[in-house]
Amino acid sequence: MEQQQEALVPVGNPDGSDINYSGSDYVSRMRNLLFRRMLVGIKDGRFFLGAFHCIDKQGNIILQDAVEYRSTRRSSPSPMEQRCLGLILIPSSCRTSCHVDCSIEEQLSLLSLNQ
Amino acid sequence: MDERRAAAAAMDRHDHPRPSSIPSGDGSVWADVSPLLEAACADLQEGELIHGDNFNLFAAMSALEIMDPKMDSGMVSRYYSVDEAIENGAAPVPISFDKTVDVQCTIDIMDHLLACEATWHKGHSLAQTVFSCIYLLRPERTSSHALLHSYCRIIRATCKAVVSVVSDARTHEEEDLFTMAYGLPLIGEDEKCLSMLNAVEETIARQLRACKAPLLGRKVIEDLEPLQNNPALEEGYCKAILCRLRFRKHFYHVLMCLKRPQGRGLQLARKHISSCLSELELIRKSTEVLQSNNNETHNCGEDKTTASGCRPVGFDASINTRLSAPTPPRSIKILSWSEAIDYFVKLLHDLDTICSFSLDASLEGILQFMTLLIQDGKLYGRDPIFAVIIKAAGLPEILRNHDIQNGECLVQLVQLVINLLKILSTNAAWQRRKLGKILQDWRVIHIQLELALRQEIGEESGLSADQNGRRDILRQILVWVEEQTFWIASRFLMLGFELELYSPSEYCMVYWYIYVVLVKLAERMHHKLSFTNATAKSKGKKKKGSTKDMSRDIQMPASVLFLQPYICLAEGLTMMLAALRNERMLSQSPSPFNSDHERFIQHFELLQKAGVPDHISYQSFEESTKNVRFSTLVMYNYFKDAQRMAKEVKNSFPNDPERQSELRRIEQVAEHNSVALTVLCRLGSLDSSLKVSFDFSHHPYFATAVVKRS
Repeated sequence: MEQQQEALVPVGNPDGSDINYSGSDYVSRMRNLLFRRMLVGIKDGRFFLGAFHCIDKQGNIILQDAVEYRSTRRSSPSPMEQRCLGLILIPSSCRTSCHVDCSIEEQLSLLSLNQ
Repeated sequence: MDERRAAAAAMDRHDHPRPSSIPSGDGSVWADVSPLLEAACADLQEGELIHGDNFNLFAAMSALEIMDPKMDSGMVSRYYSVDEAIENGAAPVPISFDKTVDVQCTIDIMDHLLACEATWHKGHSLAQTVFSCIYLLRPERTSSHALLHSYCRIIRATCKAVVSVVSDARTHEEEDLFTMAYGLPLIGEDEKCLSMLNAVEETIARQLRACKAPLLGRKVIEDLEPLQNNPALEEGYCKAILCRLRFRKHFYHVLMCLKRPQGRGLQLARKHISSCLSELELIRKSTEVLQSNNNETHNCGEDKTTASGCRPVGFDASINTRLSAPTPPRSIKILSWSEAIDYFVKLLHDLDTICSFSLDASLEGILQFMTLLIQDGKLYGRDPIFAVIIKAAGLPEILRNHDIQNGECLVQLVQLVINLLKILSTNAAWQRRKLGKILQDWRVIHIQLELALRQEIGEESGLSADQNGRRDILRQILVWVEEQTFWIASRFLMLGFELELYSPSEYCMVYWYIYVVLVKLAERMHHKLSFTNATAKSKGKKKKGSTKDMSRDIQMPASVLFLQPYICLAEGLTMMLAALRNERMLSQSPSPFNSDHERFIQHFELLQKAGVPDHISYQSFEESTKNVRFSTLVMYNYFKDAQRMAKEVKNSFPNDPERQSELRRIEQVAEHNSVALTVLCRLGSLDSSLKVSFDFSHHPYFATAVVKRS
């Protein structure tokens, strides 16, 4: 437990200023997505919709007030069942997709990343 | 990495619904952020997190981890939903178009449901046991299959009745899985489900007669179709189904009878219980026939959950795991077929014991039985608790309506008695914890009663007959409360053995405490009974100090005598263990972690806090055991006395088989320990190769010493 906590505590820059995290543009853009509605799909076909709460280097995501969506049939499209789960951790190993609720303009700027 | 993403994207395209089926916000879209996410993660430093100001690492630790089989109950296993399972043919109706196979499969379903039901009773969730049956989950689907339909209906109704009985008794805890039935079609179909079952039973009974008819040379009933196609198997199958249906019917009747108010259905319940038992025997016997008809080779051996040994159609335990929230998913092992039958036989015998219990017994009798039925705050819904207390306290029956019962502290006492009864009907671990806690409450009541009594005595000037009566009632109830408190304490201590809470090095202090408590208990009991005898003899004539006179009476009441061998045994064990400890003959070394004193506090803190008994502490334990040696024990053998007393007391309970066998156990422990003590006294200090250990082979709470030469 102790060790785990140490590993997860955010580390500051070597110069000692805690406020400046990694200066990367990607990281700051990702940070802008905090508290936004995020939809994460996982291997077994379920989706989780919740407020983006946290992500670590390994890509494990924590969502707040998450709702689980699961289809009632293997063949899509099919009606979805849902239930509330609260705070969840989605390990990167089972994540298959990740979307954020945003305006069209924003989507374009996110797409520009790929170029 | 790219491969993985490509594969994931492919899965997203082909196998999974697009996120578009989940609505985004107004005027917004779902934008894929996976590339940004990966880029950002690559840029993050080791151990760095992206999070907001409200992030709390400790809270984040409690997040539910998706795809962890121990936390995520929603993991998709075989089927996405019940409907999908049905579409995939997991639970066909009819089960087979071959009528013989259909009947075979129906019997397997019945059998597996019985095993599931027993597993549920043992404490697993309803959703993962009985309702792992897909047929049960969709009541309307089976309506064309009269046999299966009627069986499913009675199962649902039975489950509902059981849940309601357990909920009403309020002996369960909030987190108990047993009563959770969210989202399950638990339909109570009382009248109709029985009439339907009867109709099906009638048909099959006729089919059975019809298949026997040609043999007996009677006229064949023309208009009746046989149950299935193979005439050679017809009789066996008809019989197998009949006993299964009849068992369900009688079991349902048993439940309904037990639910009747004021125990009015108990006699009838016993009749149904005996019918249940005989049907169960028939069910057990049918195993042979069904097994021999089973053509499948893959018998599941000992783990089989059906009489035939075939795996039943239409069950999926994972389909409902989401319904068993808020508990994490658990893996469940369904009881085997023979275990299930044995369980029901035992259950029915237990129910029969409860039903045969006389409703006129004294409170002590009930405490022993640990059965109870409290309805509307009355014992068996009939006797007000105050009247029960009056009787238990040995006061004359006429006082049951005395207005003293409206006093605050007696109202509380009534509540305490009800709580005690409820606690006694729970499992050992829970019971012990609660008993430890309520000791405080009994102590508080005791103090309040004492104050009330002192007040009464203070107002003694101008004493009216009525006031005099109040004083006697209070005094007598006070003694009874003390007695009860010590009884609770002794039960608390003894349950520790059942729960294996004591280590052998602690037996000495435990038996010492038991001894102290039992002595007090016997004292109070004697005190109470001598008052009762006094009132009985003087018929209301009261003189001061009458109770004192009686306590000098040589004739001891049987219930007090019953305690004597226990007291001797506890004292003897304390002394023997103390001598072993003092002469360093116990094989185990003292615990490296905490001292005897600390362990004394750990075990008896609740008793000490409640002052049960007063002025008892670790020091008094130390005082009474530190000088014990075998050389002193030679003088007096406690176990011989215990053995003799147990033998004598037996005569006081000639018609009580329970107590007889209990006393026999006590006698055996005493006899064995007596021999062990003699050996130890003679050889102990001389022969260092003697090893002593203790086991509970003769009595659950009183240890037997085993002396061996190593």
